[in-house]
Amino acid sequence: MKQQKPLTREQYLKKFSRAVRWRLPPQESEEAISDYRELIFQEERDPERLVEELGEPVQAAHLLTDVKTYRRWLKIFVVLAFGLFLQVRWVWTAWPAVRFWGWDWGVFGEGWRGVAVMVAGLITSLYWFRRHGQKSGGAPKGLWLSCAAVLLFAAGTMILLWYVSSPSFLEYYRTVMEVAHRVPWQIKLLRELMMEGGVAYTLAALAGLVLARCYDRRWLALYSLALTAATLCVFVVFSLNSIDLTYAQAFEMQTYLFTRIIPIGAVGLVGTGVALC
Amino acid sequence: MLKKDLLELCLLQLLSQGDKYGYEVLTPLRSAFPDTQESAIYALLRGLGKENLTEWYMAPGGGGPDRKYYKLTSAGRARLEALRGDWRNMRDAIASFGVE
Repeated sequence: MKQQKPLTREQYLKKFSRAVRWRLPPQESEEAISDYRELIFQEERDPERLVEELGEPVQAAHLLTDVKTYRRWLKIFVVLAFGLFLQVRWVWTAWPAVRFWGWDWGVFGEGWRGVAVMVAGLITSLYWFRRHGQKSGGAPKGLWLSCAAVLLFAAGTMILLWYVSSPSFLEYYRTVMEVAHRVPWQIKLLRELMMEGGVAYTLAALAGLVLARCYDRRWLALYSLALTAATLCVFVVFSLNSIDLTYAQAFEMQTYLFTRIIPIGAVGLVGTGVALC
Repeated sequence: MLKKDLLELCLLQLLSQGDKYGYEVLTPLRSAFPDTQESAIYALLRGLGKENLTEWYMAPGGGGPDRKYYKLTSAGRARLEALRGDWRNMRDAIASFGVE
């Protein structure tokens, strides 16, 4: 049987830090990591016997865990992660039905489900992290950059949507479909931005959640912003499903969409602002 | 008295002899309780701090970086006295069965 190589001091500390940051609030975990650094890097310590003397890193982190608080956090995390999963699922299952022909009554108004999940996610996460989260010093490194990236990407998608949902483009689209039976590239691009973007926003939101737990609660701003962007994707896709270009009212799509997108986005931005405070 | 209480008693007793840094506390206890890992002893030490039985301060370590030294608080001394009492009672009870 192949014998496992013993962990080096650095590897041990890295594994321990990862486990303890997930289980304990930031201030406590930093304290434990600093104590373990001192214990591990003692001159007298035999690095070959680290695990034997100190125990497995995850087990060591487990011993420091307040099980009740940790379980409560896990429940909150599972609920929030499930909300994100729903957003991705809705975008991916709803888009293939977008045809702009034949009003699908079955999905009319279903975009609001995504909005309900977003509001629940924002309230739950802000409540939890303002009570149990911690922040230290200035804004965490990378927070502004990641938020700006999400914001720019979402704004770009919304600009394309503004163009695609304009009456002139919808008229052009109807003509192209009737005459040439082909989908314009703008619609194909919008599809990619909605579907792939929806997944990317969800992953960014999940990362924000994990970073808020492990390092600084202000990372929740990334979660709030990315969740809002993912929700807008869900709302738009379900709304596009309800378009039927054979109806004259369909050409008011732009007004319909943006009178709803703007307040939803504003709610998300308020949530992001609160997360940053 | 459970094993955890015995460990706590030894830990507090050790600190009653003078302020000590983490490694100085953990190694003798692991030698005395070989089936207990240092992480468990550290968790206990941390728990005592949370209960305000011990406190810590940073001080220069022998030539290296600063070390975290642990010391007993007055509440810690009271707890040590209580555990000593429990230990004597248990020792007498066991001795009454002829166990030496």
